[in-house]
Amino acid sequence: MNTFLSAFWAETLKARRSKVSQGTTVGFLILPLVGGLFMIILKNPERARAMRLISVKAQLAGGVADWPTYFEILLQGTAIGGAMLFAFITAWVFGREFSDHTAKELLAIPTPRGIIVGAKFVLTAFWILGLTLLSFVIGLGIGTAVGIPGWSLDLVWTSFGSLLLTALLLFMLMPFVALFASAGRGYLPPLGWALSTLAFAQVAGVLGWGDWFPWSVPALVSGMMGPRAEQVGMHSYVLVLLAFIAGLAATFAWWRSADQAR
Amino acid sequence: MNFAIETNGLSKSYGQVRAVDSVNLRVKQGEIYGFLGLNGAGKTTTIRALLGMIRPSAGSVQVLGQAVGPNGRGPWRHVGHLVEAPAAYPELTVRENLDISRRLQGIPDRSAPSRVIERLGLTAYADRKAGALSTGNLQRLGLARALLHEPELLILDEPASGLDPAGVVEIRALLASLAHEKGVTVFMSSHILTEVDRLATRIGIIHEGRLIEELEAEKLEELRSRRLAIRARNLKAAQSALTQAGFAVKANASMLTLNEARAIDAPDEVATILVNAGTPPTRLIVEHENLEDHFLRLTREKE
Repeated sequence: MNTFLSAFWAETLKARRSKVSQGTTVGFLILPLVGGLFMIILKNPERARAMRLISVKAQLAGGVADWPTYFEILLQGTAIGGAMLFAFITAWVFGREFSDHTAKELLAIPTPRGIIVGAKFVLTAFWILGLTLLSFVIGLGIGTAVGIPGWSLDLVWTSFGSLLLTALLLFMLMPFVALFASAGRGYLPPLGWALSTLAFAQVAGVLGWGDWFPWSVPALVSGMMGPRAEQVGMHSYVLVLLAFIAGLAATFAWWRSADQAR
Repeated sequence: MNFAIETNGLSKSYGQVRAVDSVNLRVKQGEIYGFLGLNGAGKTTTIRALLGMIRPSAGSVQVLGQAVGPNGRGPWRHVGHLVEAPAAYPELTVRENLDISRRLQGIPDRSAPSRVIERLGLTAYADRKAGALSTGNLQRLGLARALLHEPELLILDEPASGLDPAGVVEIRALLASLAHEKGVTVFMSSHILTEVDRLATRIGIIHEGRLIEELEAEKLEELRSRRLAIRARNLKAAQSALTQAGFAVKANASMLTLNEARAIDAPDEVATILVNAGTPPTRLIVEHENLEDHFLRLTREKE
């Protein structure tokens, strides 16, 4: 446990000192802010036009300014924006060791490589959880400040549960990003992987096979793909779990066994 | 006998390229072993294999009596290393970088980074971000990390790389004192032959992946070629006189050289021959091949 705590402490220090932590926080806070802006506009379009928040000619299609809509924006923004931002975080946590050529300092030391990889995954999990919680809390603040109607404690808990579930599902898809960052020794391969899976997730969703494609499941759960969310069943969660286990196993195996010749 | 490093038939291939070929290394405890080779000779691949960073294609590696195997298994609590160019987390200070290493090395003593910072002359840079360090100071940080846990064995890839001349002398003195006073075994690769020449107690030469020579530094003195170098005002007359006396003379535009033992062991007789021929030498000296010449001669012979 001590060894793990040391490795985890090292990972948090690297993250705290990096501008990436501030950048991702600011990046993720755009979500509740933009959601809040939509609420202001939807609540009073004429006033928004007068304040020049939107063009005079803008036609606002659908949507009402209330808490269910606001939570929907947060949830769907997390499913899509989070998929990329969380992949960026994971790519940084793992890929930076290769980009900065520091990986070789983590190999021939008393702390086992598996512990270091484990600490990186735990940091990634906390990072994702922290951003999700922060965006929800800020979202609550902004929604209250804007004064949108439709508040209920039940709605808050249900939305919070869905948000956490989406974030958890997204995190479970991150080990493959970590694997690409490690085996690809940098940032580009994992980001390429994340973009590809996001694109394929859309295609799978449109074709109606999204519930069988793990990378589509978070978007389906968030309601991003409309009524197709109903397709998501136990089989979808099992597939995400299998992707999680396979990604973890492959990443740990790579760090343990792959030649580190660069 | 227990060796600090022992490899048996260590080989590593990348596809068709045999980077290291059947290398048998024996590094005794307390030795300073200089590992010489040209670029691409297999030095870094050997070092990475010693540290378990790559899997050998064949053969075995033992470090401090323990087999180095997959999953990063090895006696790393007692081994300090510096592989290729030193690297550090650029946004962390020197002290923070060392504190990370301290924790990952499992060193409970919180003052260890301060000690090693002082020892490596990094006190003025302790709170500077590693990304702002000069190459030389980054090298010092790499060495500080290698020494942090006071290891029994140091495996260093080009430890003097990037250091200024004063730094080179300082690090040489530091490594010598560690070996002599604390019995630390040092395995260092280098292409700076004078460094190895001055520091190493034993030298191994690797060429095209093969260990082509391994010798005690003292033995190098005996093995180095010697020659008698002669200069005279009339080189042609001097060459003629020596040839007539039965010597095999090599000549270039400015100098004659004799490689035979009877000339090297009796330069006075050579001088007498030249004086009697009316071409007295202006310079007559027995020259020893230096490590650089020896190394180049050996590697050329193997090509």
